[in-house]
Amino acid sequence: MLNFLKMMLTPEFFFSILRISAPILFATLGAIVVEKAGFCNIGLEGIMMFAALTGSLVSYYAGSWFWGLLAAIAMGTLMGLMMGFFAFQLKTDITLVGIAVNMMGSGGTLFLCKVITNLTEGKAMASSTGLITSALCVPNITIPLLNKIPFLGGVLSGHSLLTYLAFIICGLTSVMLYKTSLGMNIRAVGENPNAAASVGVSVLKIKYTAIAYSGLMAGFGGAFMSMSYAQGWSLDMVAGRGFIALAAQAMGSGECLGGMLSSLVFGFAQALGIKFSARGLDSNLASPIPYAVTIIGLVVFALVRRSRIKKQHAASQL
Amino acid sequence: MTKKRELMFSIVRGLLAILIALLVATLLIFISANGDNFSEKLASTGDALKQMLVGPLFRMGKNGTRFETKRLTDILASMIPIIFTGLSVCIMFSANQFNLGAEGGIMLGAFVTGMAAIYLPMAAGLHPIVAILLGGFAVGVMMLLPALLKSKLDVSEMVCSLMLNYIVMYLIKFVLNTYLADKSKGQIQSYEFLETSRIAQLVDDGSKLSVGFLIAIAAVILCGLFMYRTRWGYAIRMIGINQAFSKYSGMKVGTIIVVSQLLGGFLAGVGGGIEMLGRYKTFSWSSLPGYGWTGITIAILAGNNPWFVPPAAFFMAYLSKGCNLMATYAKVPAQLIDIIQGVIFLFFAAEQFLSKYRQKLVVKSAEEEIARKKAMDEAKEGGHANA
Amino acid sequence: MPDEKTGRLDEELVVQMKGITKVYPNGVAANQGVDFTLRKGEIHALMGENGAGKSTLMKMLFGLEQPTSGEIWVNGEKLNLTAPSVAISHGIGMVHQHFMLVPSLTVAENMVLGMAPRKGLFLDHQKAVEITKEYAERFNLHVEPEAKVVDIPVGMKQKVEILKALVRGAKILILDEPTAVLTTQETTELFKELIHLKNQGYTIVFISHKLNEIMEITDRLTIMRNGRSMGVYNTCDVTKEDISRLMVGRDVILNVQKDEARPTDTVLRVRDVEYVNEWHKKVLDKVSFDVRKGEILGIAGVEGNGQKELVDMLFGFNTPNAGTITVEGENILGLTQSKIRGLGVSLVPEDRMLFGIAGTASIEENILSDRCADKRFNKGPLFNMKAIHEESDRLIQEYTVLCKSRKQQVGMLSGGNIQKVVVAREFSNDPVLILADQPTRGIDVGATEFIRKKLVELSRSGIAVLLVSADLNEVMELSDSLIVMQGGHIAAYFEDTKELTDDQMGEYMLGLKQQPAEQIRRVCHD
Repeated sequence: MLNFLKMMLTPEFFFSILRISAPILFATLGAIVVEKAGFCNIGLEGIMMFAALTGSLVSYYAGSWFWGLLAAIAMGTLMGLMMGFFAFQLKTDITLVGIAVNMMGSGGTLFLCKVITNLTEGKAMASSTGLITSALCVPNITIPLLNKIPFLGGVLSGHSLLTYLAFIICGLTSVMLYKTSLGMNIRAVGENPNAAASVGVSVLKIKYTAIAYSGLMAGFGGAFMSMSYAQGWSLDMVAGRGFIALAAQAMGSGECLGGMLSSLVFGFAQALGIKFSARGLDSNLASPIPYAVTIIGLVVFALVRRSRIKKQHAASQL
Repeated sequence: MTKKRELMFSIVRGLLAILIALLVATLLIFISANGDNFSEKLASTGDALKQMLVGPLFRMGKNGTRFETKRLTDILASMIPIIFTGLSVCIMFSANQFNLGAEGGIMLGAFVTGMAAIYLPMAAGLHPIVAILLGGFAVGVMMLLPALLKSKLDVSEMVCSLMLNYIVMYLIKFVLNTYLADKSKGQIQSYEFLETSRIAQLVDDGSKLSVGFLIAIAAVILCGLFMYRTRWGYAIRMIGINQAFSKYSGMKVGTIIVVSQLLGGFLAGVGGGIEMLGRYKTFSWSSLPGYGWTGITIAILAGNNPWFVPPAAFFMAYLSKGCNLMATYAKVPAQLIDIIQGVIFLFFAAEQFLSKYRQKLVVKSAEEEIARKKAMDEAKEGGHANA
Repeated sequence: MPDEKTGRLDEELVVQMKGITKVYPNGVAANQGVDFTLRKGEIHALMGENGAGKSTLMKMLFGLEQPTSGEIWVNGEKLNLTAPSVAISHGIGMVHQHFMLVPSLTVAENMVLGMAPRKGLFLDHQKAVEITKEYAERFNLHVEPEAKVVDIPVGMKQKVEILKALVRGAKILILDEPTAVLTTQETTELFKELIHLKNQGYTIVFISHKLNEIMEITDRLTIMRNGRSMGVYNTCDVTKEDISRLMVGRDVILNVQKDEARPTDTVLRVRDVEYVNEWHKKVLDKVSFDVRKGEILGIAGVEGNGQKELVDMLFGFNTPNAGTITVEGENILGLTQSKIRGLGVSLVPEDRMLFGIAGTASIEENILSDRCADKRFNKGPLFNMKAIHEESDRLIQEYTVLCKSRKQQVGMLSGGNIQKVVVAREFSNDPVLILADQPTRGIDVGATEFIRKKLVELSRSGIAVLLVSADLNEVMELSDSLIVMQGGHIAAYFEDTKELTDDQMGEYMLGLKQQPAEQIRRVCHD
């Protein structure tokens, strides 16, 4: 046990927590913003899948990770807007829109990958890993000075640009929600759409903005998966991170800081799983750990919420 | 609006949704089609489409297009698992519970049934029944988790069931790999099911159309009766429409919500079990089979009504077969079906899709009604005048 | 042109609404040829019972609804008020009964929502606070700019609403029942502030039923009844009794034939019930009464005086903080709706679309809801469809539900027919006690008359009926005896409704009078 703890308390371990948390954090930010606008986007998973594919293919054809990343987040945003069209214009239940997007995401990405590589490479490939070199991945950044600090340098320096972006955007999203008029409008629409509409805020426009933002975030998350977490896209590589993000949003009480902490908890769970399996634990036992932690997290969160409501209720009885 | 007109509207709307999906498919096929120039591509697109739309039932060869029984039995056979997941989702969605656990459920049911088929020797008639029921019960128990968490703690049954799918899949793989695998084989698979556990085939053409198909149809009838002819099914539907109303009417809302998900789980499990014993000799699934997601599409197409599940399942099985043929003969990746499925799904579920057309029909009906009343009144007055 | 009554000139009129008629798509005429004027710098009361058309009239002035016919002039300009934003731009602001505030935003943020001051990319929070402070000081409306709305008391929320209107340039303020949610102290404070506003030249419309308040602060008042204006008066020229008479009165007297009630055993017994709502307001205070077999006990009162909470309690939707409730001797507190129904209690709910029906289900399925487990309708595990069809056809016929067939979606029916489906179900399951909450609100005359007759018929057959209604006509015509609820307690008990006049009722409903406790205690037939 002690031995194991020693093995855990290494810079590499904490480094991997941050790395694993990043895509979940991106998706969680997307979930947070739509939640603030009053609805739930369960299509994050599907959007991440499409964005992951888009990112890796475009970076390959353009020969630059930058264009790949740009294309991935554009794809994510576009898909968010499309979901908005079905949900807000055609009045499809937003949950069903999300299910449809996820359904298309899994087989649809494989279809597109095969078709596109067949058109260009002459063979229908089932993943893009063969095409992607590390130069086409989002670069890792060594932070000068910081990397010299023992332990801390090993944890914080040398991450992918996207990992840093995830945490920076987490802060920016919080600022957006609480310090700009857009954020104020989003929160107003989510909490009391009548109040927002009565002072001339366009509820529809705000909802579109929110879902596009969640698509953008899922786009970043997807790009991270295929352009940093792994080299290239492969089937089902998102592996439920979009769903975990929904749980992280709930556990973080819908706030950016809470969402970030919850993402880190999931990152920790998965890093632990990887550590366990490195120590000889069957990977089939290690892999479900993050999913189990998600359910446990939701239950704990629900219990806390309930006791809080009870307390409030007790207070109101006085 | 008259019933006939309502029906007509539903049909037009459904057909249009399918048409849009096919248009999207055509576009994608065209992009992926072989050919150097436009007309060549167009021709191969036509061929691919033909394979997809006609191929599932007809063999296209040099002697022209001929109906082939084997292809029909193939389709019927592949309807078996998705009828069960379709029914499962119908019942859960009817209660307004977005439980997406049918996917993990069908895998767990298949696994438990398969293991019972290996390790619980029994008489031939009894064995498959017990094995399949065990599979069903196992999934029922699995669904207790999201169902109880939802009704007691208001934890999202959707996120919980999705997570459960992954957990179930990995645990099955773990148990199979570690304890139950037949190590003499190259791939990871279980030992062979006992002879006594096999489900008899209906036709002997290799299509795997087993007695399971008849059980699936029986399940449709039972579910149809359950949902529309029993007080429990009735309560499930009313809770789905208006929970406040159901509570006010004296229904035990919390219990019924849990029961709906247990039943949904049971059906998914039974479906997995039947698929296992009717089609395979060993258990070798290493990932989620996707039947759960198809079940969701089927439930949406069927409007959560069990009676419409078989046609919806036939449609999906037909489409899937078509896409597979297209992949074989026209080199269009079979996963096209997921995109088609998604597009149909989106338009079917879109409330406002064609709402203007519907509005017109409503207005027309109302106008006719008014005209008829007027005519009746006039006739009455005329009668009075004559008298 | 001099005003007919006062001889003042037209220029002083900041608002003129002429011949306003509003007919809703469902055929309800909420306003019929209403004239309404506002003078600059006055506090003008708009009075009337529930459903008299006050809110509709004000919604048209604020651009939320458009009149079917009639003209609206503001500051001498004829306007087409298509949306609230148009009204706002002409200096009209409205404070709704249900606050239009965003709970998690601060007071300052709520103030500037939709017109937020910016500093570069960011919200200029400092500026928002400054604006709030400036207006709060100028109008003497004390608020805490940095506090979140969710944390501030109701009285302050209302001030925020008023400030919100003012910051958007409102010169005319419409306040929809502003005191309904306020404590006495808060009300006093609000009045001071309103007078302060008036002195600065602002015009205020004050919608209320509370006579004392009206007498205290308004200059003029318009009284509405059944969608028509009953006239405009200077407050100093009329007495409370005059107002009560004008406001509370029956235009049409529907004659429901009814024999002498012969009440027997007590069915419902309510004793000393108290209830504190989630905003810590005591909405039921020592309420006690009995309902006996064979009688209709009416509960009259202006809405929002505790009736809703009482009915919810009688059907198990909330539990009292003190007191007891029994049905035929059985305690019902803490029971589920299913158990309460099992004791023979039926409820015609106030909100029929939310509780009364499952809209997209058929008429038959809606009739079945409370009796789906009944032996009569089940054959083994299956429904006895024949019996169910017979039952629904019988009820459709008996309750003259106008429909194509029992399979028709209930939500597609007219309001009156929907309510007939609800009462058909609630009246036909051998109840011992019927709770009828606003049973005929918003439905056509035919259905109304039918339901009223049915209620009388059922009570004469030995069922206990508790009728809760804000419709004075209904409650006075149907009830054998009645209680008046005011401010969460029983203000009066009338053993016999025959000799009762509207004027008497009005005085108790509006809180001018209160019977002695011994008199009220007689409703408990111990």
